[in-house]
Amino acid sequence: MKETIKNTTLADRLLFIFLISVSIAGIFISRDALSHGSDVIIELDGKPAYTLPLYANRLLSVGGPYGITLIEIQGGKVRVKEAHCRNQICVREGWISKGVIVCLPNKLVIIVGGSKKNKQQGIDAITG
Amino acid sequence: MQLQDKQRIAILSAYALALHGFESLLPTPIPWLKPGLANIITLVALILYGFRTALFVTLIRVVLASILIGTFLGPAFILSAGGGIASVLAMGLSIKLFKNLFGTVGISLIGALFHNIAQLSLAYFLFIQRIEAVLIISPLIVLLGSVTGILNGIISDILIKSLLKKDSERIQNVSEG
Repeated sequence: MKETIKNTTLADRLLFIFLISVSIAGIFISRDALSHGSDVIIELDGKPAYTLPLYANRLLSVGGPYGITLIEIQGGKVRVKEAHCRNQICVREGWISKGVIVCLPNKLVIIVGGSKKNKQQGIDAITG
Repeated sequence: MQLQDKQRIAILSAYALALHGFESLLPTPIPWLKPGLANIITLVALILYGFRTALFVTLIRVVLASILIGTFLGPAFILSAGGGIASVLAMGLSIKLFKNLFGTVGISLIGALFHNIAQLSLAYFLFIQRIEAVLIISPLIVLLGSVTGILNGIISDILIKSLLKKDSERIQNVSEG
């Protein structure tokens, strides 16, 4: 085993060091990019209405067929705080940090994702 | 193909299949995390007997293992086959293109890297289709793959050297006797 390690070529060692350092750097970079780059996209009636950063706390009210819906963003998570629809499933969904909250009666879709490209994909839950 | 080649492929495939089966019994913290022990046999076949033997051994191993384990033509089989074929191609090409630049350990690292790249791309295009999920998992997989690639490369190198030594001893004995 020692002999084998001693016999590795320079290219072997460089390749190993390169792969290890690139992958370790990649772990940090991907985590960083995804945790700070996330946006909350709020769609009303199928059209994007608001794009808000996930890491800025705020309370937002949007109108819909069933009245005003309160959306709260706090600490990298988002929830529907108050809605006036019948079954309140979107409120019971609670805080999400990724995925989608859909409120069909209010024609409201809340998407947490990195970019607009992802918004058609990855529906985690549909609520009414 | 000569009879000797066929025998060689059969024996090597049996070894690879045994390692593949053994590996699937090993408890791992994450279900798809495997050390890739069968790549040891692929690498030995590639370096001692050439690209065609290595490719045959890999194909036979992937197909038979999936039939035995029960994943034939399922998602796990597609990932396994894609990774295996990509890794043989990459290792064969790098031996051909950079003849003495990489040793056995380096070739093993290249094989592990391309195995992971192929599996991640297949998983993205066929099953996951969420680029952020693939991006967040890729560096971790490449890191673990490089560690197991090094270990497999060292084992392969020891195996190849002892096989060559035995061969040369046998030739000596024959010529002396």
